[in-house]
Amino acid sequence: MTTKTQAVGPSSDGPLLQMSNVVKRFGTVVALNGVDFSVDRGEVHGLLGGNGAGKTTLMNCLYGLYRPDSGSIVFEGKPLTIRAPRDAIRYGIGMVHQNFLQVDTYTVTENIVLGTQVSSFPRFDLRAARKKVMDLAERYGLNVDPDKRVADLPVGVRQRVEILKALYRDARLLILDEPTTNLTPQEVDALFDSLRAIVDAGTSIILITHKIRESMTVCDRLTVMRDGQRVETLVRRETTPRELANLMVGDQAVIERVAVAVGETEPESDTVEDKAPKEPSTTKSADAESASDDEASAATTDVEAAEEAGVEEKPADAEPASADETAADTDAEAQQDAPAGPIRLRVEGIDVPGDQGAVAVHGCDLTVVSGQVLGIAGVAGNGQVELAEALAGVRRPSAGRLSVNGVDLTGRPVRDWLAAGVTYVPEDRHRDGILTTATIADNLLLGSQRTSRFSRRGVVRWRAVRRTASELITRYSVRASGHSAVAGTLSGGNIQRVILARAFSREPDVLILHNPTRGLDIGSTQFVYDRIREVTASGAAVVLISEDLDELLYLADHIVVLYNGRVVGRVPRQQADRFQLGRLMAGAEAEGREDDRP
Amino acid sequence: MTVREVASPTRPVTPPQTPETSVGKRPAWLETLGRWGAQAVPVVAAVAAALLVSALMIAAMGHDVVTAFDSLLTASFDTQFGFVATLHRWVPLTLFALAFTIPLIAGRYNIGSEGQMLVGAAAAAGVGISGSGLPAPVLLPLVLLAGILAGLVWAGIAAWLLDQFGVNEILSTVLLNFVSFGVVLYTAQHLWPDPVGGFPMTDHVAPAAQLPMLGSSPQFHSGVLLVLAVSILVILAIRYTVIGYELRSVGANPRAALIHGVSVRSVAIGALVVGGALAGLAGSIEVAGVQGRLLEGMQSNYLQLGIIIGLIARGSVVAVPLVAFGISVLEIGASAMQRSAEVPVQMVLIVEALILIFILIADILADRITRRRAARAAVVQKLKESSA
Repeated sequence: MTTKTQAVGPSSDGPLLQMSNVVKRFGTVVALNGVDFSVDRGEVHGLLGGNGAGKTTLMNCLYGLYRPDSGSIVFEGKPLTIRAPRDAIRYGIGMVHQNFLQVDTYTVTENIVLGTQVSSFPRFDLRAARKKVMDLAERYGLNVDPDKRVADLPVGVRQRVEILKALYRDARLLILDEPTTNLTPQEVDALFDSLRAIVDAGTSIILITHKIRESMTVCDRLTVMRDGQRVETLVRRETTPRELANLMVGDQAVIERVAVAVGETEPESDTVEDKAPKEPSTTKSADAESASDDEASAATTDVEAAEEAGVEEKPADAEPASADETAADTDAEAQQDAPAGPIRLRVEGIDVPGDQGAVAVHGCDLTVVSGQVLGIAGVAGNGQVELAEALAGVRRPSAGRLSVNGVDLTGRPVRDWLAAGVTYVPEDRHRDGILTTATIADNLLLGSQRTSRFSRRGVVRWRAVRRTASELITRYSVRASGHSAVAGTLSGGNIQRVILARAFSREPDVLILHNPTRGLDIGSTQFVYDRIREVTASGAAVVLISEDLDELLYLADHIVVLYNGRVVGRVPRQQADRFQLGRLMAGAEAEGREDDRP
Repeated sequence: MTVREVASPTRPVTPPQTPETSVGKRPAWLETLGRWGAQAVPVVAAVAAALLVSALMIAAMGHDVVTAFDSLLTASFDTQFGFVATLHRWVPLTLFALAFTIPLIAGRYNIGSEGQMLVGAAAAAGVGISGSGLPAPVLLPLVLLAGILAGLVWAGIAAWLLDQFGVNEILSTVLLNFVSFGVVLYTAQHLWPDPVGGFPMTDHVAPAAQLPMLGSSPQFHSGVLLVLAVSILVILAIRYTVIGYELRSVGANPRAALIHGVSVRSVAIGALVVGGALAGLAGSIEVAGVQGRLLEGMQSNYLQLGIIIGLIARGSVVAVPLVAFGISVLEIGASAMQRSAEVPVQMVLIVEALILIFILIADILADRITRRRAARAAVVQKLKESSA
């Protein structure tokens, strides 16, 4: 405790928050199994763990969304019983969820004061509230316009509104649930600066995350959870990403490989050193690559910083220049890759309509050859879903052509796309991916029901289906009682394993993956990465649409950035760096590029 | 080794009685049996509870409960006549329940089986009357086919409206019922009216258009065997064919089915149309096997009973014929109950409704009990592990 770095207002009377022996069950599942958790005053405390580790459940118990079955909560020295979020807010605990609960048609100020006492006589007066919001925003660098309608704000700003909401209610403990999921690297940096300012002013923060890098950047202390239990609480200065990964997964064999992914862009040299000799031989080349990447990114970070400064000074010159640069990359890349293998997927100038009929993807050209992974980066909501569905044949483009293995499939039914070897792993697994009331075997059959492997003359070969299902359950370590278990009873991570098992077992020629590892723990994530490498090695082409830049930098041969429905940049992996991609994702170079267009 | 694994749902598994399926390994059919057992328990409990409440009501009305129940439950089995009447009631009820259940599996609601049956009956009567010169082996299949096709077209209208314009099929099928009443009147009063009939009815169909009778007196019509065959066919189709699988997948999650190459549109249309065809078949069997003609009001309350049966069977086509038989027993027992204990026939509707309500309650209770039991088992297991 003495090594705490940001020693603001040293705790005079014990920790700010002490949760003891918290137990929470959901039906058959024990989600929290006697968790002890404490937060000091004035610290950012990271709550780290894989999917299903129980971090969000623990915090929901603290915030009154769930009632723990047993255990105690002591906050500021007083034992509390929290029955509802209203209680938590009254005691000074605030929480920012992954999905914001905001009234779209209200202004920022109106949203913030909603549910608090505002003087409404002689007239409804928000002036004082507005002043307080602006003061808070300024003090913590949470820039928002208090008079803007929330519906008009981007995700990053809406998140600031949510944080301001908690601060407005004088929260002395702020819980953030995976706050960086939809943010660009720049926004993440700004958020972390604000968090630091908030903590310096005396409020403690609990940061729920599964990203090791982030927690190493901002947290003072870290608590790692696994399987509903607290594994360890560590001081950041005394730990390494490697140790954290180790604690999160608890499986040494997996860590060895995961370290590559996690530590890849980690600036601390000791992690690079200690992973190099221990790497298994199969990943040696990847390791070498990552090492050179480290150097490259270290070098380019400075360049980028300079460039960024330059952009601010004279944007008119700088932006078109960088746009040209990316265009040149594209040509070079196209020439380089021509002999790499047969073209699996060719997309020529497609426009894809969104759900409301407006065009969501404009003039998109892509080519993916056998054995390659094409990464598509971008902040959620920039046309990824529409593009993914168009690439999978689910959504019909309003213009342009799509062909698979040289066969034009534009406008053909999904069945033809499946027959051509296209397999799609959708982002929204409950809505698009799974038959919740059906068995695992039924789910694994979905999409293959008309193949000769699983049916003959219109009759399903259930024996083959069940046998294959049992094999896949074992191979993909789906935790279920068997192939006849109902899919809806599985946890989110296990449902995703079923979906991935189905996709990979089809031995696709073209695989469209949309956020395939979201919500998976490190071990499962690495397992998915291994499968992706396996299918590309056997000649498939993979389109990986992901919000996780680490994932793209680790897997993709080329990265395409999607902003506002347009491809705004194409970068080969070797030349990619996080900050350039971040700028593209934020649309910083899009305007200059659009001007070039007729 | 971990909490989650221990906590996997524990199903109540009943001891195996007869190996039902040769397909799959031992745990598969054992689990299937267990699931059936788990499904049967709440149904049995619900029926018992419904009968208990009905008994209280009958007693409160001042009737003899024992006599009433004795005739209600045994009328179908005491006499040959009662059993044949029960079978003849079972035929339309099974077809109506299937006409409701098959679209239900795909997530669609066919509330128009009444109309589909009536147009089927009208078409069957028309063919049966006008084809009087034809021999039975030609005419009878034509009569049955006419009913099937008419029901198919009638449901097809609703399916087409749904597919083309997104018209809710609940509305269109219900409204088409009213249109079908007009079709019945037109057929029975203008096309082939029976001038001596007291109310709207057609002439008799030709003897060659009637279903052969089977057994000794009283005889039952061969439509019973036909419906038995149809039921088995439907069960096999839904369980074992690709189309049946796609039907179930569309019902479970239409988006996921669509993304994985199932044509959700054709499945929805197909399910409604097949349901209509089965209701139409019910119409032609009523004409060719029971009434010998089309008459107003021949649809009785089959629509409502079909829906109740479908809901009690909870979408399981295996359960439909069984539940339909049980409801037929009650329906036939109702008038016997009125004769012997002077309990009004309407009481049987109350019994049927109570069964449905108690099944819904039992569902919720069973779910809670299994969950609580599983949670307790998980904790016990955990304690054992930590002490070991």
